[in-house]
Amino acid sequence: MNTADFDYVRKFVRDQAAIVLEPGKEYLVESRLLILARKEKIASIDELIKKLRSDPKNGLHRKVVDAMTTNETSFFRDIHPFEALRKSIIPELMARRAAQRQVNFWCGAASTGQEPYSVLMLIAEHFPELLKWDVKFIATDLCSEVLARSRAGCFSQLEVNRGLPASLLVKYFVRQGASWEIREDLRRRVEFREMNLVKDWPALPPLDIVFLRNVLIYFDVETKKTILAKARRLLRPGSYLLLGGAETTFNIDDAFEREVIDKTICYRVKQA
Amino acid sequence: MIDLASLIEQANELAPLSTSTVRLAELVGNPDCHLDDVAELIAFDQALTVKLLRAANSAASASAVPVGSAREAVTRMGTAQVLALAVAAGARPFLQTSVPAYGLDEGALWRHSVAAAVAIEIAPNFCLVEVPPEAFTAALLHDVGKLVMGRFLSPEILGFIQRAQEVDHLGQLEAESLLLNVHHGELGGLIAQHWHLPPPVVQGITYHHNPEQGLDVLCDLTYLANQVAKQIEAGLDGRKLDFSVDPAVAERLGLTPQALDNFCPIAASRYTQVSRRYNAV
Repeated sequence: MNTADFDYVRKFVRDQAAIVLEPGKEYLVESRLLILARKEKIASIDELIKKLRSDPKNGLHRKVVDAMTTNETSFFRDIHPFEALRKSIIPELMARRAAQRQVNFWCGAASTGQEPYSVLMLIAEHFPELLKWDVKFIATDLCSEVLARSRAGCFSQLEVNRGLPASLLVKYFVRQGASWEIREDLRRRVEFREMNLVKDWPALPPLDIVFLRNVLIYFDVETKKTILAKARRLLRPGSYLLLGGAETTFNIDDAFEREVIDKTICYRVKQA
Repeated sequence: MIDLASLIEQANELAPLSTSTVRLAELVGNPDCHLDDVAELIAFDQALTVKLLRAANSAASASAVPVGSAREAVTRMGTAQVLALAVAAGARPFLQTSVPAYGLDEGALWRHSVAAAVAIEIAPNFCLVEVPPEAFTAALLHDVGKLVMGRFLSPEILGFIQRAQEVDHLGQLEAESLLLNVHHGELGGLIAQHWHLPPPVVQGITYHHNPEQGLDVLCDLTYLANQVAKQIEAGLDGRKLDFSVDPAVAERLGLTPQALDNFCPIAASRYTQVSRRYNAV
């Protein structure tokens, strides 16, 4: 891939999704575009880029942005945040919201849905009474294709092998041929929405727990600041923000304070 | 470019292990397993009985009195060894093949697998944790995913993987995950699942490069076996290779620095004896 083509792709990927592709990442762009070219029955990457340049409204730009999005996810990813939810965060939340019996969760960049479904399984296992409350569970992602997969709640054997204990697989999934489908009662509890974190946000309710895990790493500092500020304004007092293990609010948005729960670092808005 | 669905399909199409081997794996993994049950199961599988007797009477195992029955073979070798040999007999035809995408010529994957099994054989002398019998099977099959993955790694994809390693300093596993959305450990785990091997074996194979994600002693042991096997092979080839074991794994397994120093030389010496036994299956 020549420098001009790489620069063209990385500029519009940055404009559309704020994903930063440093020089040297040509291999990643090439490998993802090659898959897309084959899917779209386009002969080569050169040909694909020609089509992109010639017609900005042919829908290909959107597909390229989707292709460049890393959708790595797994059930109970990194396990410790889920332990923190079970041991501390959810019990505290339930105590705080007992009078209203209403809580709102949001998973930003939810990818193919493993994270929201993991949280729901955790609630069903350890806090079944919470499911009798008015619970809103919103999961968003930039990519319409992965959202469709999340909504379907259908996972391959490979996907359920990633982090999902056999006991939960048997209890909450139904085998459909070579795939596993999450139980209907859990699936319909999640509201999946398309949302680009770096564009205008749709209306979201006041939030009690926000998951923005392993997504800020793809953005520059200014974009991280903007996203964190928007999320902060949506958090109810005393609510929690959970980030990925390599992410922090430190030196980005100091209105948050760190709270360590066993092996998990979570963030809460500092109280005045 | 790689298609994840066809990769999974191919993993599921690998010829299965025999029913008696799978049953044996289940039996040996059961804490209440009795020698008689194992012997009885083997006795019903003539081909397996012949292979085990040949292995039990090979130079590494034989004593003055030759072994003449499945029961004697099980008593002499122990259920874990018997299972390892049964699995080895089933998987050897695949593991003997060359996998050029990983730089493995014919027989190289098999030698690596046997070296890993040898590491498990001597592990109880060095580790403070109990070594489950299924650990042999996981060690023998830990790289079986490379067989399927190798078929899909065109020069083009190999080039991307190499560049990911150079540019982003990723390991083989991380580069595979980034570019293919699956790594050879996960693919090996799928194959083991397709063969109906016990879940701890599946876990051990899946997480042999990243045992911290497996949360099972078998993942730590399979990781250790892989590291030791690389060291044995380097020694045989006259190459110098630094032996490193993740300190967290060493701690979980109760491996002292002294134990780690002694592990590889003893494993290498045992390998030269035991490889004959595995070659007999």
